[in-house]
Amino acid sequence: MTTTARAASGPTNAAGGVSRWANRHRKWVFSLPAMVFVTGLIVFPLAYTVVLSLTDARGSIRAPFDFVGVANYADVLTDTTRFWPAVARTAGFTVAAVALEMTLGFTIALLLRRPFRAQGLVRVVILLPLVATPVAVGMMWLLILEPNIGAANQILQMLGLPRSGFVTDAATALPTLVLVDVWQWTPMVALILLAGLTSLSDEAEEAARVDGAGYWARLRLVTVPMMMPTILAALLLRSIDALKTFDILYAVKGRGGGSFHEVETLNIYAYGLNFDYNDYGRASTVLVLFFLMIVGAMLLILLRRGRGHA
Amino acid sequence: MHSTRTRISARVATIAALATVVTACAGGASDDGDDEVLQVTMGNHVYTDQVRAVIPVFEEETGLTVEVTVYGEDQLSDQYNVRLNAGSDEIDVMMFRTLQEGELFSQNGWLSDLSAYAEEAEEWDLSDFQEGPLEALTVDGSLVGIPAVTEREVLYYRTDLLAAAGLGVPETLEELEAAAAAIQDGNTDVAGFVGRGATAQAVPTFASYLYGFGGDWTDDDGAAAIDSPEAVDAYEYYGGLLRDYGPEGATSFGWTEAMAVFSQGGAGFYTEADSLYLNATDPAKSAVADDVGFAVFPAGPAGAKPFNIPSYALGISEYSTNKDAAWRFIEYMTGADQVLEFQQAGVPGARDSVWDDPEGLSGFPEDLSAVIAESVRIGVGYDRPRVARVGEARDIVGQPLVVAIQGGDVADAADAASEAFQVLLDDDRG
Amino acid sequence: MLGALAAPLLWMATASLKTNIDVYDADRILVFTPTLQNYVTVFAQQDFLPALLNSAWVGVASTALSLLIAVPAAYSMSRFAMRRSAAVVLLGRMVPAVTLLVPWYYVFSQLGLVGGYEALVLAHMFVSVPLILYIMLSFFDGVPLELEEAAQVDGLTAIGAFARIAVPLARSGMATASILAFIFSWNNFMFALVLSDNDTRTLPVSLFNFISYASIDWGALMAASVAVTVPIMVFALFTQKHIVAGLTSGATKG
Repeated sequence: MTTTARAASGPTNAAGGVSRWANRHRKWVFSLPAMVFVTGLIVFPLAYTVVLSLTDARGSIRAPFDFVGVANYADVLTDTTRFWPAVARTAGFTVAAVALEMTLGFTIALLLRRPFRAQGLVRVVILLPLVATPVAVGMMWLLILEPNIGAANQILQMLGLPRSGFVTDAATALPTLVLVDVWQWTPMVALILLAGLTSLSDEAEEAARVDGAGYWARLRLVTVPMMMPTILAALLLRSIDALKTFDILYAVKGRGGGSFHEVETLNIYAYGLNFDYNDYGRASTVLVLFFLMIVGAMLLILLRRGRGHA
Repeated sequence: MHSTRTRISARVATIAALATVVTACAGGASDDGDDEVLQVTMGNHVYTDQVRAVIPVFEEETGLTVEVTVYGEDQLSDQYNVRLNAGSDEIDVMMFRTLQEGELFSQNGWLSDLSAYAEEAEEWDLSDFQEGPLEALTVDGSLVGIPAVTEREVLYYRTDLLAAAGLGVPETLEELEAAAAAIQDGNTDVAGFVGRGATAQAVPTFASYLYGFGGDWTDDDGAAAIDSPEAVDAYEYYGGLLRDYGPEGATSFGWTEAMAVFSQGGAGFYTEADSLYLNATDPAKSAVADDVGFAVFPAGPAGAKPFNIPSYALGISEYSTNKDAAWRFIEYMTGADQVLEFQQAGVPGARDSVWDDPEGLSGFPEDLSAVIAESVRIGVGYDRPRVARVGEARDIVGQPLVVAIQGGDVADAADAASEAFQVLLDDDRG
Repeated sequence: MLGALAAPLLWMATASLKTNIDVYDADRILVFTPTLQNYVTVFAQQDFLPALLNSAWVGVASTALSLLIAVPAAYSMSRFAMRRSAAVVLLGRMVPAVTLLVPWYYVFSQLGLVGGYEALVLAHMFVSVPLILYIMLSFFDGVPLELEEAAQVDGLTAIGAFARIAVPLARSGMATASILAFIFSWNNFMFALVLSDNDTRTLPVSLFNFISYASIDWGALMAASVAVTVPIMVFALFTQKHIVAGLTSGATKG
């Protein structure tokens, strides 16, 4: 290790005081900036949204409105035509997409961890779906999946498979978009997991192999447990984003999530209430509930992490 | 080694970032207090291109400086929502969708009353504007915008397919259905008809059918009327047309998808706004460019009643600190001379005198211009429910249409929709 | 599998070389007469290159600043097991963007910051900081304490140990986090739409130039999308080297 050879450029007397204080309090010196930054930026919007959710504001926020207490919440929570279906779609979409992305992502990461020729290029290619602008991606898929003149049905026909309505068919719309989401975001999961894999030490796995453990056993008993922090990080980040998925759903189906609201998730619903119906009271209510759901889901994941963390 | 490099690059990054922030602050500061710049927000439209081309002339004549910001249609709407909710004074002239947002913006107090300006501008002549558009822009006695662009629903058709089937151009809805059937039977992979079918997006298209059958969104007393026998007939007709003679997936079609099918040769007939004609007649965009004809919207039992609406209007933000200058801009861009110029470039305006002028029609393809002239004459001034909460209303009144396309019970759906619509109407006025 | 990932983008790339009418034609997926007209249209747009530069500026600035505050935070939260504090930062990512738009616009416009780079950078940082924090958290979790303790015995301060030992070891994590943060910033649309003006408009917003009321210029849209993607690929190529370096530095072995 070359760095230890250099004598520590320890605190000189002038800056010594500050440096010693910083060192002693480094726990907070390091973490406060990030915490203050984030909380600072969300406090006002969250308060604002909560307040709005207790009103019947619509049209313009500057117009006079009344406080209606929890009436909005009662309305929304008993709304079985738009709200609860949206909840179901959000949950279904997220679980399906994240499960597929984590599995595929991990597989790809495993495949790429060993050095091989052209690995730099392959890793860059992997990034492509992630890098393409969501707006353009949505419109591109619109064209490809168009049932009458799009390439997708052409390819299906060539392969002798039945044509599909894809996103124009209410039954297949959301599943199709799950696949588009998987296409777009698996690379992110793969990237995070790959970075995690490559920074693992080989010793433990070597030891296991020497002891006679097969590939799957090694994977299960050595690699995955060591990778837990990274896996959980990827899971957490990806799940939050998946719950909030907006761009592709909006680009493909527009406001309202389609003629039958077939792809209307909570985020799309809230956006529509806000910008299309201008019903700020209700939109804020949905947003508050949505936020609480996301927090709830994250707590669930974090609790499991806490339990599994030695 | 590595660590020092990291430290140094971290330092460099910090300095670079801070420098950016500082210079941006300095740059930002100089933008404040710029009262002389007229801020115009417009949507991405051929009209906007034309206006921008003329701005240098305007600036020279008036000595004002104009800054134009252009957004896509939906983004423009969202922008207004965010900025005007926050009371921003960064918008002076606003281009907005008359029937989609006019009433709402007015109710929100976001649009200035232009009556005083309009009445004073004698030479500019308010009375030259078409009645329908002006009426659509008058809310509770205030004139909230000046109509800038108009559009009507017309019938696009394939001249070659029609000739091959030995048919004349349909003039009634009955003939349209028969012709669509004939074309579909006589050609493989070609649908007889295509049109918008996605709930809210299909509402404007459907409007002409509704009126043609003698129906309307509300009756004379202002009550919901989409469950009337005429309305149900209209829903069933249009829905049936798409169901029996339309392409796959029609319930998802907005204009992009429907136009794509038509311009790729996938359908024989298409009812759509005339403002979109270039997508069908431009060889760079359409595979059937040479075989497209235009006709007036066919007549239903109550006659031919296509809509003739002011799609976009120009208004002044109530929070603007530059209203006089903003009016000068609007006055210029909607003045008779300018409108004639724009119309000659293919952008239909809203002035009677310009429509009466043969020069005013010269910007459009020949058969289309005759169709437009006729449609202007017979057109109905609105293509969607006249409420403030248009978004929600469109979702409601579009629902029976989707049911019709799928072959469900239209009368039932219309009843349910009418009830929901009535609730909205009651709430809207309050 | 690589093909599945890349195919739609190849479609996009070929579409960028087609005329609009060919884009619709499924028979012409691979066989068509190419044209560079779309790229000409895109670059002739007055605001494309400035938008590119804006995106680059905002991306670099927001990623750099985010690294600056998120990496130390991740380190400290890992070493001191500050799970709850970490969760607080993650809250930032959980808030749906719609909630933030009007309040942020209001606050920023009161401060006179709308239309300047600061507002955009801050907004993008808001997205990046939780991302970088969580990725680095898992990395620091994997860096053994012994090395730092050894270094401190040798005379380094605790902060010194962080800077000279922990950070270099987590380089591959930092490279990954930076690429992802930069990508999110590059593609971010909603905040840019509301907080930028003509001068500071970023690329995704300018893509909508090709989607107008009465027509969609598919060819140009695809060409613009390709043009938007290329700079990031270049950036990613460079940062890849650091990820690979993480493999070969062997820092964690003895």
